[in-house]
This record gives sequence, structure tokens and C-alpha cells, in this order.
Amino acid sequence: MRLEIGNINIQDIQFGDKTEVKNSILYVEKEALINAISGDDHIRSIDVEIVRPGESVRITPVKDVIEPRVKVDGPGGIFPGILSKVDTVGEGRTHVLKGAAVMTTGKIVGFQEGIVDMTGPGADFTPFSKLCNVVIIAEPHEGIKQHEHEYAVRLIGFKAAKFLGEAGRNVTPDDIEIYETKPLFKSHEEFPDLPKVAYVYMLQTQGLLHDTYVYGVDAKKIVPTLLYPTEVMDGAIVSGNCVSACDKNTTYIHLNNPVIHDLYKLHGKEYNFVGVIITNENVYLADKERSSNWTAKLAEYLGLDGVIISEEGFGNPDTDLIMNCKKISEKGIKTVLLTDEYAGRDGASQSLADSDPSGDACVTGGNANMTIILPKLDRLIGHQEVIDVIAGGFDGSLRADGSIEVEIQAITGATSEVGFNKMTARMY
Amino acid sequence: MVKEIERAGIPVVHMCTVVPISLTVGANRIIPTIAIPHPLGNPSLEAIEEKLLRRKLVEKALVALETEVDGQTVFED
Repeated sequence: MRLEIGNINIQDIQFGDKTEVKNSILYVEKEALINAISGDDHIRSIDVEIVRPGESVRITPVKDVIEPRVKVDGPGGIFPGILSKVDTVGEGRTHVLKGAAVMTTGKIVGFQEGIVDMTGPGADFTPFSKLCNVVIIAEPHEGIKQHEHEYAVRLIGFKAAKFLGEAGRNVTPDDIEIYETKPLFKSHEEFPDLPKVAYVYMLQTQGLLHDTYVYGVDAKKIVPTLLYPTEVMDGAIVSGNCVSACDKNTTYIHLNNPVIHDLYKLHGKEYNFVGVIITNENVYLADKERSSNWTAKLAEYLGLDGVIISEEGFGNPDTDLIMNCKKISEKGIKTVLLTDEYAGRDGASQSLADSDPSGDACVTGGNANMTIILPKLDRLIGHQEVIDVIAGGFDGSLRADGSIEVEIQAITGATSEVGFNKMTARMY
Repeated sequence: MVKEIERAGIPVVHMCTVVPISLTVGANRIIPTIAIPHPLGNPSLEAIEEKLLRRKLVEKALVALETEVDGQTVFED
């Protein structure tokens, strides 16, 4: 499977009479965008704002961030099984509005949503402060059920990203990257002497607003399976969750998963990157046992020499991470774990809820419990009063002078467990 | 908590869903429960069936409490 990613660099977003890309500026026809994403009976109002890097703006609670993309060649469309038919994607060409994103906010859905500051110390902690964002403010009707609210806002975000992505359909990309993964036996024929490496991609599926979808299927209902890595770049995996903001994989992060992109860089040179094993993080022990048994079985079946395993979220998924590590290691396959830490505000507590000696190679995205003071910013989009109750916030987080003291857990993408941010933790 | 109470000489039964974590932290008597969001119940059952399930779990825990163990023991069905 071969996919060309055509990046169209976006340096600014402005409202305009027509939705189009001209000279690296994305113009958005506001009314047309609102029309394209309206229609859910659970939503009372939708408004749209544009925010840019460096502006004195705070957006909270942020639910999801999505990159605008459009498929211009090859089977299927973006977000298969959700906005497009369930054709298998990952082949042909996809155009990306690089530097632009859709960000969804409005009344809080679940208590685990995030903060994005576009300037100041908070901006350094979120990768999304570096993007021009089209912020969708979706306010629900009173009395809406949480899961209906989550579904409605999730879909609104995807629709907005698809609508904006269309503007890139006939634009010549600034650069084109090519990603190719061949069927297993062919790729082994091509690189018989290179070690075979795969990515074990753990998806947050604890339920109760902590869910991820694969081709439209709720991933808690899957057994581990294989994907070509390029399928992920076309939106085969999307976020539907309100897990702690710092280490949830927003849809933007799924589309741009650095583990996949970086594994491609040395594919065919230092190793043979054969594909992606997706698995889940369920709340029944039998599910955890079954899924980790299957990741180990698939890893063995593929004849792998090594895997990278990334976790999403923390707490009981730490056990899924350790089970995957232990069972895959027992097959004689090397493992590297990607996670983050909840080691207390002083960093002195145990970082993960579970552990095993086989987890001897581990990369961390940082300690989510570290606190930070975020100064008052000029403009607020969303609802700041939620700061005291979101995960990472505490009673008194929101101070009288408009500044905020929170754990970095509350900042969207701060301790990304797929390495989407630039944080880590070190021992001194 | 399990370890501190046992250190004081009182036996403890740890009822939990994620048995591997309980084993990692060093509980000695472990009863596997239903699911992380509802360890001691099951909302998909009828009220009467759920009551029976809960009673069974508690009775199992009481039996475990009375059982002499030689190291970490998981009380499976």
C-alpha cells in the first residue's frame, strides 16, 4: 500500500467570501462552514472563531483537535466508516492543510478535557499552540445525555475538518511525502537481512466517554488486528474520548502519529517496518488478557524481531501496557514502551500502576502531575469555570486574578505518549 | 493500604478487577471482580440477579479471609 501525502502549507486562516486556499492562506466562508456542520438536534448553537499562534487566547475545554485532509486519489474518503464509506483507505494521494486544525469546544462533555493557550508558558506545553486553529464552539441543548453530546461534538469536528480539507483538493502541494508498505512476504523478500519491526498501537477504550473508533467500529469491540500504517493517515482511527487531556491522542495526533512517521524514516535501511498491530484497553480483565494474548500472537505470527508499544491514557491501561510488554517479550521479541508518568507533584511516587522486569526499555512523555501557573490571557473561548473540575485542575485552580494553577495533565497533548510533544522526564 | 493493614497483623482480602496490579503491589488474598467501572456489580443484570452476584462475591471474600495461604493467592471460581 502506497500513499502520497501532499502537504499544503497554511500560514494563516482568515474568514472570506469563499472557502479556498490562496498563497498559503486558508480562507473560510463562515456561514457555509456552519451550515456544513449543523443539523444535529442535540446542539443548540454553533459558532466559529479563528486563533493563531502567539495570540493572547485561551481555549478550554478542548475536546478534540483534527487536521483538515482530503483524499484526491485512491479508494475511499477521509474518516472511513464515519464520514465516508467503509472502503479501505491508505492508498493513492491525500492532501493535507499543514499548519491548520479544527478544535472543538463548548460546554464540557466529560470532566477530562483540556486547555490550549496560544501564548505564554502554557503554549510551550501544547503542540496545538503552533497551529492556526478554526475553533468550533458547539453548545448543546439543556438535558442532553453525555454520550449523545460526545457523539454530536465528535462528528461536528470531523465534518468541519472534512469541509476545510476540501479546499485543498485542487491545490498543488508544497511538498509530497511518499509512504509505502508492501505485503509481508514481499517486504521480507525485499529486505531479507533487516530486522522486522512493528508498532503495537494501544487505543483508549475504557468506555464511558473514553473511546476510540476504527473504521467506525468502537475499538473496545475489536480483537487486535493489523493495519497498513498509511491507513491511519487517512483517518482510519479517530478519537472519541474525553480522557485526560495531556496524554489522549486527539484525532490530529492519530493522523500524524510520530511513531509511524518516524518508523518510516529508516524503513528499508536499518529495519523493515512491516506494519501496525492495533489493540485496545478494556475494563474487563478477560478482555485485557485476550487482547494482550493476541498482540503477542500476531507479533510472533509476523515473525517480528522488535516492537514499539505505545499506551494511551494511564491507570489501568498501564496493565495492558505491561501485559503486552511481558507477553511479547516472552516470545523472544524485543520491546520498547512509550508512556507518560503520574509520579506525583514532586515526581517521587511510582510512575505507573504496574510494572515488570521485561519493560527494560521505556520512553516517557513526562510527568503529568507537575504543576504550572498560566497567566490570565486577553481572550477566552469556551468556558473557563470548568478549570476547577477538569482532570489536572483542583478546587482553587482558577484564581481571582484570572490566572490558573493546574497540573500539566490539563494541557492538551502535554505528555503525549506517542511523542507528539517535546517533553520527557529524566532521572538526575 | 492492603499491605499496611496486613503489616499490623490483620489479614486482608483484596477484591479487584485488575488482578495483575494486585499481584504487583503484593496483596496475599485476591478476589477477581467484575469490571473496573463496577467491580462489585454488573449493571447489565436484573436487580435480583445482581444482588445474588454481589452476595456471592462477598461470601467468597469471607471464605478467602478464613483460608490459610502460603504466599499470594488468587481465589478463582
